[in-house]
Amino acid sequence: MTEVKAELVGSVWKVKTQVGAQVAEEDELLILESMKMEIPVTAPRAGTVKEVRVKEGEVVKEGQVLVVLE
Amino acid sequence: MTFWSANRIRPVENEYGKLVGELHARRKKNLAMGGAEKIDKQHQRGKLTVRERIGLLFDQGTFVELGLLAHQQPVRGGESDPDGTPADGVVTGHGDVDGRQVWVIAYDFTVMAGSMGAVGEQFKAARVRELALRYRKPIVWLLDSAGARIQEAAGSTFAGSGWLFADQVVMSGVIPQVAAMLGPCAAGTAYIPGLADFVPMVKETSSMALGGARLVKAATGEDVTDHEMGGSQVHCYESGVGDNEVADDVECIAMVRRFLSYLPSSNTEQPPLVVTGDPPDRLVDGLDKIVPVNPRSAYDVRKVVKAVFDQESWFELKPTWAKNIVVGFARAGGQSVGVVANQPMQKGGALDSDAADKAARFIRMCDAFNIPLVYLMDVPGFMVGSQVEKEGIIRHGAKMLYATSEATVPKVTVIMRKAYGAGYYVMNGKGYQPDTIVAWPFAEISVMGPEGAVNIIFNKQVEAAEDPTATRAQLIETIRAQITPYLAAGWAMIDDVIDPVETRRVIIKGIEQARDKKIDRPWRKHGNIPV
Repeated sequence: MTEVKAELVGSVWKVKTQVGAQVAEEDELLILESMKMEIPVTAPRAGTVKEVRVKEGEVVKEGQVLVVLE
Repeated sequence: MTFWSANRIRPVENEYGKLVGELHARRKKNLAMGGAEKIDKQHQRGKLTVRERIGLLFDQGTFVELGLLAHQQPVRGGESDPDGTPADGVVTGHGDVDGRQVWVIAYDFTVMAGSMGAVGEQFKAARVRELALRYRKPIVWLLDSAGARIQEAAGSTFAGSGWLFADQVVMSGVIPQVAAMLGPCAAGTAYIPGLADFVPMVKETSSMALGGARLVKAATGEDVTDHEMGGSQVHCYESGVGDNEVADDVECIAMVRRFLSYLPSSNTEQPPLVVTGDPPDRLVDGLDKIVPVNPRSAYDVRKVVKAVFDQESWFELKPTWAKNIVVGFARAGGQSVGVVANQPMQKGGALDSDAADKAARFIRMCDAFNIPLVYLMDVPGFMVGSQVEKEGIIRHGAKMLYATSEATVPKVTVIMRKAYGAGYYVMNGKGYQPDTIVAWPFAEISVMGPEGAVNIIFNKQVEAAEDPTATRAQLIETIRAQITPYLAAGWAMIDDVIDPVETRRVIIKGIEQARDKKIDRPWRKHGNIPV
């Protein structure tokens, strides 16, 4: 199980995956918006999406778990 | 490897021959290091021996050894083991790297775990520091040592130790210092890499920590291994003490040679010019495919660096730590340059405490060693918010402001896309004496982005509007029109707006233009950098 965390504070702009999806390493899971930039959050490894813990528009903190991979 | 070698030993019957023969026998014994069994163990750990490492570091046949015949001496009336301590566990001398003299202090783990004894430290290593500084030549430590030899160092005679770090501070910014991490580097000796200019670390085998695992257990009760506490996975990814993680000794020593190739032998010389064959006026192809015009989209700035500078010349430092800023050496028409580039792919390129720290130290190294600086700017600003304020981002960010202001080497700034707020300042904005400052046509220069500006300037107007969303959007566009580079160019605040394909030529010309640069500033003992 791998927790994918936010590397900086920001808001969730687009969720690009869903529970049950098969993802490859480097696949975009969601896009954060912070500091005038779209910041892609990618899968650190291949796996299945077990949980998506945030929704679009939500503000997240640095280190907050966004997605859990299995 | 050495000028003198074991095969010179030949039987001579007379007294003369016996005496010379004894010398060769002593040399042979000490060249054998800690013996076959210890050498096997060293190899089994995936490490090379100290003499194999020195063979890789220097141009063939150039190594001159000092202190080969040294060994442990009795300390405070205690025993010594001359036969068991060849060279007292540290090999010292000088040799050539690409034809230039470099000094070495190389610990031999096969002799008392490379521990630092009185002879090795107070005479051998001290001699190398003295001579390297006297001749103004770089110094390289090949570190693989259990640390201070406790049987010699425990007790209050410790009071007389420690001046190696004071020596290192005197050498700082005068001669390049490299600490190659090829094994453990425990306790206080970890300040050798702490003070060095470049610290490559071998994955798995190297570690550094102020207290080794056994000392930690005694001091605090924490159970941790040397590797967990101070391996490259800590120092090249989290702490930033290490520079580059490498796979093995061979790669590590090759990287030391490469690092030195960008630097002068001392601060009194210019870095070596290298013929790279890449034309200085080459137009840069492919930038349109690397850099998105949409300012919100990320890309890998290292692709820009590789496209702009001489082919195969890019050498990134600290590539796995504070990745939102990219620093390293490259060549521009054969000239060594230090590149400082924002990395939009990481944290949107926003600067934070670690990024400022990484950049500040790199900028000061380049300035100390006469290496021109090139800033490739695409920065949305410094990170803001409660988290970074707790870290002291004002203090850390000020280091980068300080370093950039203080640097008097030629400085060229290319504003690629974003140039916002204090991010614009620390990336060598107009106020920081750039020798050349240009922008690409889609650059955005402003104290803040249009959205933020509208929120602050027109907050009431937007709230009072019949259609706040439309009014806000319209105001954002009005402000956006003012952040194009043509307003700044119209004021001649920047030197030019350039077609990105011209970037390489503009950088090389900008450095050439500043070759005779002289900046006089008021006398002071030293400034007070906000460390």
